[in-house]
Amino acid sequence: MRQESIRRIISICLLALLVAVFSLTSSYFLAPKNVYAFLRDASVTGILAVGVTFVIITAGIDLSTGALTALSAMIMANFLFYLPDVPVPVVCLMSILIGILGGLLNGFVVTRLKLPDFIATLATQGIFRGLTMLFAIRESGRIRNQVIKNKAFLAFSGKISSGLFYVTIAFIVMVIVGQLLLKKTRVGVYTYATGSNRKSADLSGIRTDGIKQFAFGLSGFCCGLASIFLLARTGAATVELGTGLEFDVIAAVVVGGCAFSGGRGDVVGSMIGALFMSILTNGIYKYNLGSEYHVIIKGVVIIIMVLFDAVYQRYFRSRLHSSGRKALKGKAVAQ
Amino acid sequence: MKKTLVVLLVLALMMMGMTAALADGPKAVKNPYKDQLKIGFIIDNIGHPVGNAWKVGVEDEAKAYSNITVQCFDGKSSAETEIQQMTDLINQEYDGILLQATDSAALAASVREAEEAGIPVITLNLDADTPHTALVAMVDYEAGRMVANAIAEKIGGKGNVVVIQATPGASRGINLEAGFEDALKEYPEITLLDKQSGEWLTEKANEVMRDFMTKYDKIDGVFCANDAMAEGASQAAEAMGRLSEMQIWGADGEAKALEYIEQGKMTGTIYTNCFDQGRTAFRLMLFALSSEIQPSEFTETPVVKMGPVVATQETLDQIPENIRW
Repeated sequence: MRQESIRRIISICLLALLVAVFSLTSSYFLAPKNVYAFLRDASVTGILAVGVTFVIITAGIDLSTGALTALSAMIMANFLFYLPDVPVPVVCLMSILIGILGGLLNGFVVTRLKLPDFIATLATQGIFRGLTMLFAIRESGRIRNQVIKNKAFLAFSGKISSGLFYVTIAFIVMVIVGQLLLKKTRVGVYTYATGSNRKSADLSGIRTDGIKQFAFGLSGFCCGLASIFLLARTGAATVELGTGLEFDVIAAVVVGGCAFSGGRGDVVGSMIGALFMSILTNGIYKYNLGSEYHVIIKGVVIIIMVLFDAVYQRYFRSRLHSSGRKALKGKAVAQ
Repeated sequence: MKKTLVVLLVLALMMMGMTAALADGPKAVKNPYKDQLKIGFIIDNIGHPVGNAWKVGVEDEAKAYSNITVQCFDGKSSAETEIQQMTDLINQEYDGILLQATDSAALAASVREAEEAGIPVITLNLDADTPHTALVAMVDYEAGRMVANAIAEKIGGKGNVVVIQATPGASRGINLEAGFEDALKEYPEITLLDKQSGEWLTEKANEVMRDFMTKYDKIDGVFCANDAMAEGASQAAEAMGRLSEMQIWGADGEAKALEYIEQGKMTGTIYTNCFDQGRTAFRLMLFALSSEIQPSEFTETPVVKMGPVVATQETLDQIPENIRW
C-alpha cells in the first residue's frame, strides 16, 4: 500500500477515535445541532486551509491569511454601511477581489522581490491589518464597530433546511475543487514539483515563480471567500477580526499531513486537519473543566495526532535506509 | 451603595417587566434553589486580573448553591472564539450566560440568539449592541471625568496631558476617553498633547510612553485606559527619570496598581471591587432566571454600575487587603 494511503487511513481512524471518545463521554456531542455547529466552526478555517495547503506544498508559508480576511471583511462592512444600495453580490465580489489582490501582492513580494515567504507574509500581515484599521468605521474620530443590518448579506450565515450551514457547503465545494486542481491538473503536479525540489522543477521547465504566484493568489481568493461567511456570522467587522486565525489554519494544514519542507500533503488532508481541530475544541467544551485544562488537553491531543505521523515517517525512512544499505552490499533491492 | 444600585435595578427590571409582563416568551421560570442549573461564564481573557477576580466572585457566590454549576470559558480576546462558545452554550441549553463581550458589535447577534432561545445573558463591563437581560459594569464615562478632574486639581488647571488608549473599538475604552476629554473641556488651559493606543497591554504602553517622552518635554498628566497600561507608563517614566514631574492615572484598581500607588509610582486609579461585581452578576442571574420577565422583549439593556473608589495614597486605606484583586 502506498505510504500516503496508509497515512490517510491512520488520520481518519484518529479522527474517528476522537469522535468516539467525545460521543461516549457526552450524550450531547453527536446531537445534529452540535455536529452542524462543529462543522460550521471548521469551515472558515477549512476554506482558508485550502489555499494555504497549496502554499505550503510549494514549501512556502502564508502568515497573512487572518489579516487579509479581516481586510476583506472591513471593506465589505464599509460598503454595507456607507453604500447600502450596492447589491450584495457586488459587495461579495469586491471582497473576493480584495482577497485575490492581497494574495497576488504576497506572491509578488515573494517571487519578484525574492523575499523569504515567512518575512514577506509577516510584513503583509502588518500591512493588511493596518489597512483594516485605516478603513475601520469611525464616529467622531473613534473606531466604532457597526452591526450590519443588511438582511440579504446576513443570510450568508444561514443554513439549509437540514441544518447544514452554507459556509460548510462552501467549504466542501472548495475542498473538492482544490483536491481536483491538485491531483488532476498540470498546475497541481507542478505545485508538488515546485515544493519537492525547486531546482529540478526549474530545470524541467516549470515556471516555479508562476506556481508560487498562483498558490498565493488562491490563498488570497480563499481569504476573500471566507471573509464573506465570517462577516455574516460576526455581524460586524472589527479591527481584530481573524487575529491568530493564520495559525489555526497552518495548524490544520500541518495536522492534515502537509510538511513545511514542501511537496507533501493534499487538500483532503487539510480538511481532516480542520475538522480535527474544531471537533477537539468543541468536544473539550463539553467537559466540566477549567479553561486552563481546555488548552492543555488540546495541546496534548495535537501532539498525539502528529506523533503518529512522525513515527511512521521514521518507519518509512528507516525502511528506505535499510534497503539502501542492502543495495550498497550488492544485494538485490525488492522495491 | 452597591446594594442600593442592585435594588434599584431590580425595581427597574420589575417596572420593565410590567410592560413586557407575563407575556408568553421563550424564557421559562426556574427555581434557583431547587432546579439543576448550568451557568456559563465567557471571559474575554482569563489571564487578566479583572476577569479572574470576577471568576472568583462568581464561583464564591455559587458555592452556596449545590444545584448550580458554573463553567468558565476563555474567550482568548477573540470575538470569533466567543461567538463559537456562545453557540455551543446555546446548543447545550445552558440556563444562563455571563459574558464579557470582546466586541460589542460582533457579539450582538449571538446575544440576541441566546435571549431568543430563552437564555438570559448578563454582560460584564463590555456591553453587547443588543438589548439583553443586564449589563453589570464598572463606571467608565464617569471614571474618565473623575480622573480628568483629579489631574486638573493637582496641576492647578494648567499643563499638558497625554492619553494611552484602549484597543480601538472597545466600548469601555471609548467611554473612559470620552469622559476624560469632556471633563478636560472645562479646563481651557490644559492641553491634550497626544493619544495613542496601548492595546490594554503593559509592554505596549511602556513603548507608547517612551515615545511620548521623547516627543514632548513637558508632560504633567497621563491617563491610561487601564491599570496594566498605567504600570507600563510608570515604568517608562521611572526609567527616564521623569516620574516625579507627572501624574499617572489608570482605571480598574487591580492589586498591583494599588501597590504602585503606595510606592508613589502611580498617582491614582478608579478602583472597583471586582469580586463584588462578579457576585452581583451572579445574583442578578438568579433573579433573571426566577422571574417572569422576558428580557427578549426589552428595548434597552438595564445597567448596574458598580460604585467606584477614587484610589490615591490618601484613600488607599479604604480598600482593605481582602478586597484587593
